[in-house]
Amino acid sequence: MRRPGFLPAAALFLLTCVLVLYRIIWLGYPVFPVSEGQSWQLLVNVYITPKEEQSGLSLALPSEQTGYMVVEERVLSGMYAFYIHTQGSNRFGVWSGAGVDRPEEITYRATIHSRPRRGVPIQSPLLSPFPTAMSREEQSLAQAAAMKWQASAPMVRFRAVVAALKGNWGDSPPGDDRSRRWRVVQQKYDRTDAALALFRASSLPARAAEGLRLAEEVQTLPTKWIEVWVDRSWVHLNPETWEVYPSSAALLPLAVGGFPAVRATGGELSDIRWTLNRQVLSQWKLFYEQITRSAHFLDRWSLLQLPQEFQGTFRILLLVPIGALIISILRNVVGFPTFGIFMPMLIALAFRSTGTVYGVAIFCGVLLVGYAARSFLDKLHLLLVPRLSVILTLVIACFTLLALVGNKLGLRELMAVGLIPFVILTMTIERFFILIEESGIWEAFRAAIGSVAVAVIAYGLISWETLQFAFFVYPELILTVAALQILLGRYTGYRLSELYRFRFLKGSS
Amino acid sequence: MILDGFRRLRKSGVLGMNFRNAGYIMAYNARSAYPLVDDKVQTKRLAEKFGIPIPELYYVVENHGSIAKLPGVLEPLGEFVVKPARGSGGSGIILIKGRTEDGFVTQSGKTMSKEDFNYHIASILSGIFSLEGGEDTAIIEALIHPDAVFKDVTYREGVPDVRIIVYKGVPVMAMVRLPTEASDGKANLHRGAIGAGIDLSSGITLAAVHKSRIVKTHPDTGNPVNGIQLPHWDKLLMTASEAMDMTGLGYLGADFVLDRERGPVLLELNARPGLAIQMANQSGLRIRLDETDSAPPAVFSSPASRVAWARDHFTGPDSSTLISSGG
Ligand SMILES: Nc1ncnc2c1ncn2[C@@H]1O[C@H](COP(=O)(O)OP(=O)(O)O)[C@@H](O)[C@H]1O
Ligand SMILES: [Mg+2]
Repeated sequence: MRRPGFLPAAALFLLTCVLVLYRIIWLGYPVFPVSEGQSWQLLVNVYITPKEEQSGLSLALPSEQTGYMVVEERVLSGMYAFYIHTQGSNRFGVWSGAGVDRPEEITYRATIHSRPRRGVPIQSPLLSPFPTAMSREEQSLAQAAAMKWQASAPMVRFRAVVAALKGNWGDSPPGDDRSRRWRVVQQKYDRTDAALALFRASSLPARAAEGLRLAEEVQTLPTKWIEVWVDRSWVHLNPETWEVYPSSAALLPLAVGGFPAVRATGGELSDIRWTLNRQVLSQWKLFYEQITRSAHFLDRWSLLQLPQEFQGTFRILLLVPIGALIISILRNVVGFPTFGIFMPMLIALAFRSTGTVYGVAIFCGVLLVGYAARSFLDKLHLLLVPRLSVILTLVIACFTLLALVGNKLGLRELMAVGLIPFVILTMTIERFFILIEESGIWEAFRAAIGSVAVAVIAYGLISWETLQFAFFVYPELILTVAALQILLGRYTGYRLSELYRFRFLKGSS
Repeated sequence: MILDGFRRLRKSGVLGMNFRNAGYIMAYNARSAYPLVDDKVQTKRLAEKFGIPIPELYYVVENHGSIAKLPGVLEPLGEFVVKPARGSGGSGIILIKGRTEDGFVTQSGKTMSKEDFNYHIASILSGIFSLEGGEDTAIIEALIHPDAVFKDVTYREGVPDVRIIVYKGVPVMAMVRLPTEASDGKANLHRGAIGAGIDLSSGITLAAVHKSRIVKTHPDTGNPVNGIQLPHWDKLLMTASEAMDMTGLGYLGADFVLDRERGPVLLELNARPGLAIQMANQSGLRIRLDETDSAPPAVFSSPASRVAWARDHFTGPDSSTLISSGG
């Protein structure tokens, strides 16, 4: 009795192993979904109030070159035209338009992955020129002030400059007032320009940078710092305190080389917010680039080749078989009662937009309202199809009401109610009613609770990102799921619930 | 602990749902035979062909159009039963025992207007009581007056029925289902009827199961349910055994009602009989099924030999427990 199911299951399992191993060994896919480095979700909201006929905005965007990889970007530009302008290692999003007369909201969204070692140039960068506003004499004064440490190693020079910026010039030969004269000049310029001049004078490549603190918070002003090239890497210096940032990973550079991170033209920035959120991002997603360019057969046939907008669907669809497997287990091994076989799975899919708490509440609420209406309809003696239509109408009415209430309260979860499969809900109401009539309230509630529990479990499963990526990158894994389903189909043992059911049978307890 | 529980169930020979489905229903019941038992009209036609007594079939309402013809059909009938041809678990069944000027009187004494009655027929036709929810037909058949033997353990006018599980033509387990107040006069266990096991060799009732608990008396009448000798016992077993030849189903449940005058009449056949019968009999089906599997081939030659063998081998619950502890 075991054999016939075992063979196809084993074959499916083997096929999965072969395909997965092929991908790992020949195509170099990652085995584990965790990646080093961090991923962040960046959201920039800009509100601009146009003041002139021609208005626009230039916003520094995170770029690939600075040790960060931008995985996906999305831009909402309102009435403006949008293009990306690259300038050195900077990228600027430029929004512009004529005749925009209302305040506009512009949003930019990106997923950024920090790659600890990548993106750092091997060659040291060129020395940048002195700040343009500085005169020749002032430049030579700076050079003279830096003379003392000019011959030392870069790290020593850097420390000396930082100490000098803090006001500690060390001993100077008596009668040498060059550093004092420089200090007078220094007052004329802002702290950053002064520091850049001194680094230049000390032959240390340095540049001004604007960006964000990498922390889960909302920032309304970009952070400014100075990057100095010391011993083959950039050191980040805080121009307010002249302290060195302990780790460069704490900052996300947006614009380097003295460019402003944001600038409005012909209008006024009424509000700007940068929101950063940590994100669990699988390393596999980072393989996207590599896979899309590959010529290998399985690479070309990878789901990662699908246009972005369809990928999301498949991330979920590929997990539906697991959900079905769970349902089979709960029904055949545990003995869970549910309404319909796959109904909980469909409800679980809807939970993705409503969330579990609201999802369960909406489900139960509509079920109860539906039950009340169904009890009333029973007295009217309607025929089956018109009766189901009335319940369907009621369900839609409930949805509409919930969405309107959600809108008033600002609850997106309630507005997403329309994604709950209403036909399924209608049939569930009918079944619920019949079950109460025929087998009693207890039986009906058991089935309702069973269904909701299975839906919540299935939802937990399909929203598990690691699993999503695993199945997305290795879709052949569903063959193994099928194998498990076949094996489960051959399970002829007792159900857990039967322990309870037959508890009064002689000799069995 | 769970595995221990499973082991105990296995040891007492309990048949679980999964094994029933895979090991017996799927293995011995051909899909093609299902319509014969899922549709009570077909079962009736078949039984008539084999000379098996059934409640007389008055009329089959095939579609909404023929509801209009009903008054003419029902005119000469004082009492009758309406049921969905593809129903199960007693749903949609109405026993009519009399009529008033503008309606009918049901078994429980309630009156039902003609309009309600027609609505009920329409509901049956639209399939809400049917197994798969598809279109259905409504059966109008004779009301059976049950034998008085179970009078003391039946709620009022309820009609008890006898369920016999038949495996490869051998009756392996039986019970009588006694209506209670809760079950609305119908003999379906999940509606609250009680099921009393029957000693297969003698046809005498054992203790009963009521909502998965063991009871010795009827919950409404308080009379003991055990020790009642079923009349026509051999005839019941023989008819049940013939049901296999009739349908080709290797594993089935046959439901009978004992008519006051005619004796056993076949109500319906079931290709997926439930498992509660094991509790009514306080013994597991697996043991008896396995024993049947190892019976000598000669046993299966005729209904008579199968029944004789069964009556020899399957006695009350005690002997099966004995078998289980031995093997
Ligand atoms: N013709 C009848 N006369 C009297 N009682 C009946 C009749 N038909 C059905 N019943 C009652 O209804 C119950 C269920 O009937 P049955 O035909 O077995 O339908 P189901 O498939 O829904 O179980 C029987 O156990 C019996 O109590
Ligand atoms: Mg029945």
